[in-house]
Amino acid sequence: MQQLFKTIKVAFQAINKNRSRSLLTVLGIIIGVGAVIMTISAGEGANKQVQDQISGLGTNLLMIYTKMEHRGGTHVRLGRPIDKKDFDIIQKNAVWISKLSPLVNVGAQAAGPNGYKSTVVYGVNHEYFDILSRELSSGDFFKEEDVKSAGKVCVIGETTREELFMDLDPIGRQIRIDKIPFTVVGLLKEEGQGAMGQDQDDIILAPYTTIQDRLFGHRRGYDMIMASALNENSVADAKMEASELLRESHKIRDFEKDDFEITTQVELQEITGNITGILTILLGAIASISLIVGGIGIMNIMLVSVTERTREIGTRLAIGARESDILTQFLIEAVVLSLAGGILGTVLGIIGNIVIYKLTDFYIPTAPYSIMIGFGFAALVGIAFGYFPARKAAKLNPIDALRYE
Amino acid sequence: MAAKKVIETKNLSKVFKNGEIEVHALTDVNIFIEEGEFVAIMGASGSGKSTLLNILGCLDKPTEGEYYLDGVFVNDLNKNQLAAIRNQKIGFIFQSYNLLSRTTALENVALPLIYNRTGKFSNAEEHAKKALEKVGLENRIYHKTNQLSGGEQQRVAIARALVNDPAIILSDEATGNLDSKASIDVADLFVKLNDQGKTILMITHEPDIGQFAKRMIYMRDGRVLTDEFIKNRNTKESAMRELELTAK
Ligand SMILES: Nc1ncnc2c1ncn2[C@@H]1O[C@H](COP(=O)(O)OP(=O)(O)OP(=O)(O)O)[C@@H](O)[C@H]1O
Ligand SMILES: [Mg+2]
Repeated sequence: MQQLFKTIKVAFQAINKNRSRSLLTVLGIIIGVGAVIMTISAGEGANKQVQDQISGLGTNLLMIYTKMEHRGGTHVRLGRPIDKKDFDIIQKNAVWISKLSPLVNVGAQAAGPNGYKSTVVYGVNHEYFDILSRELSSGDFFKEEDVKSAGKVCVIGETTREELFMDLDPIGRQIRIDKIPFTVVGLLKEEGQGAMGQDQDDIILAPYTTIQDRLFGHRRGYDMIMASALNENSVADAKMEASELLRESHKIRDFEKDDFEITTQVELQEITGNITGILTILLGAIASISLIVGGIGIMNIMLVSVTERTREIGTRLAIGARESDILTQFLIEAVVLSLAGGILGTVLGIIGNIVIYKLTDFYIPTAPYSIMIGFGFAALVGIAFGYFPARKAAKLNPIDALRYE
Repeated sequence: MAAKKVIETKNLSKVFKNGEIEVHALTDVNIFIEEGEFVAIMGASGSGKSTLLNILGCLDKPTEGEYYLDGVFVNDLNKNQLAAIRNQKIGFIFQSYNLLSRTTALENVALPLIYNRTGKFSNAEEHAKKALEKVGLENRIYHKTNQLSGGEQQRVAIARALVNDPAIILSDEATGNLDSKASIDVADLFVKLNDQGKTILMITHEPDIGQFAKRMIYMRDGRVLTDEFIKNRNTKESAMRELELTAK
C-alpha cells in the first residue's frame, strides 16, 4: 500500500517533468470525453423534451386511427376508415372512456386582417381541449352547440395570431379559411416548439362538423378519434374496450386482425423514447470512437516515453525496483493522464453544453451518467492502452537498458 | 576475529550464446572480498570485468558456479528477491552516472529508498541529505542534474550508491567519463568512504586510479590472472603532483 503511494508519486513526477507533452497526450482524451458528454447530453436533452411534450398531452390519452401500411412509398389505408358510427358506438357504450373527440385535418389557406398563410386546420369537438389539456390565454373554447350547429368559429395558436393579426387582438375578429369566414373565439396559450421541431402554436382548431360541411362538402370519415380514459389506471382497460367495440362495429371476425390501431400516451412515450434512445446511443458511440483514438494517442506517447526513458528504467531496476514497480509506475502514468483528460474533458463538455444553450436556446442539461461514462471510458482507455507500453518497460533487461544509447 | 565475507564466488562461469557462437565471458572465477576492503579490477577490454560486476550486482546470473553475497546464496533467489537484494545490499555506480534528468540531486539520491520495502528508511529525505554531505555536495542538494558538472553528477551517483547503506559498492568505470582531475577526486572520495568502513569494488581502465585501491584483481579472457594487495597505494597528493608534472 505504502509502496503504491510512492509509485503514484513517482508517476506524478514523471508527468510533471514533461508537462507540455503530457498535455498534448491528453488532448485526444479531453476532446473524446467532451464529445461523449456533449452528445449523450444532447440526446438526453432531446429525449426529455419529447417526453415532456408527450406527457403534456395527458397521461390518459388514447388515439384511435385506421391502420395504415407503407406500400410503394405511400400510406395506404387498410380497411374501413374510422367514422361517426364508430364514434357513436364508443361514446354510447364505453365505460372506461370519459371524453372523446373526432379529429379531421385539412391543409388550407388562412387569411386574417394583417396577413395570410398556408396551414393545417384541425377539426375537433369541444372535448378535444380537455383531452389534450390545452389552455387559453384569452377568449373561450368553442362549445358543444357550435359543434352541433357547425358554427363558423375557431380557436387559434400564438404563431397563427402573429401572422394573421400582428398586433391586433384576434378575439371576435374574423379570419377566412379557404375563403370561408370564421370568427376567432379563443387564443391558445403558447406551447413552444414540439417534439420533432414543429411549432405547436401554428394551429387553427375549428368544429369538425364545420370543417366537414364547409371544407370537405360532406361528412366523410375521421382521421382519428382522440379519447381520454377515466383515469391513469384505466388506460389499458379503455384501450381493450375501444378495441372490442370497434371490432364489433367493423364486423371483424375472431380470426381476423384489427383494421385500426389504438395508441396510448404511454406507448407513444415508449416509441419516441426508443427512437431518441437509439439516437443517443449512436451519437455516444460515435463520440466514443474519438476516445479510442485518444487512447491510441496515449499508447503512442507512452511507447515513445518508454523508449526515451530506457536508461531510467534500467537504473530503477538496478537500484532495486521490481518489475511490478515499473509496470505500476507506467500504468499509473497512463491512467493519471487519461483521468486528467477526463476531468478537463468533463469541463469542456459542460462548457460546451452551456455554449450551445446560449447560442441555440436548446437547453442541454449535462446528464450525470454521461460524465460517468466519459470518465469510466477514459480510465479504461488509460489502462487498456497504457498496459502494453508499461509491460514493455517492466520487461526490459536492466543490463541492456543501462547501456541503451 | 575474521572479517565478515561480503562476496564469495566459487568457479563462476558465464557463457553468452548468440545462436551458434558461444562467448565464454567468464571462466572459473573465484573471488573473495571481506568487509572493509577496497578492490580494483583491471584488464583489457572484453576481459569480462563488466560481466563479472553484473553478476556480483545481481543483475545477471552465472551460467555455472556459486555466488554468496553478504551470506546470502544468490543463485537461489527469484526476480523479486534479486530486486530486494540489489536494493538493500548493493550500491551501483555507472560510467555514465545514470541519473534522472531534470531532477534534483536530492530526489536522485533518495531514489533507491523509494523501492525499499523494509521500512528502514522512513525519512528518505534526511538519509539522502546525509549521503550528499558525505560526497561533499551539501551545497548542491536542490540543483537539478543538468545544472551539475560531470564530476558533481558522478558524486550524486555515489551518494545514491551510499544512501541505502549497502554491503558493497560496485563501480563500473566511474571515472571513465571524467577528466583527470575529477577522476582523482572520485578516487579520493572512494578512499575516504573506504576509510569510513565502506567495502568497494571498482572496475577501472586507468592504472593510476586503480592504484588508489588496497587490492588489485587483474583479468584476462574471463579469468582472474592476478589478485594481489597493492604495496604503494596512490594518494590524492601524489596523483595531483603527477598531473601537474605531465601538464608542464
Ligand atoms: N549480452 C552479451 N551477449 C554476448 N556477448 C556478450 C554480452 N555481454 C558481454 N559479452 C561478451 O563478453 C565478453 C566480456 O565483456 P565485458 O563487457 O564483460 O568486458 P569488459 O571487460 O567489461 O570490457 P570493457 O573494458 O570494454 O568494458 C566480451 O567478449 C563481450 O563481447
Ligand atoms: Mg566493461
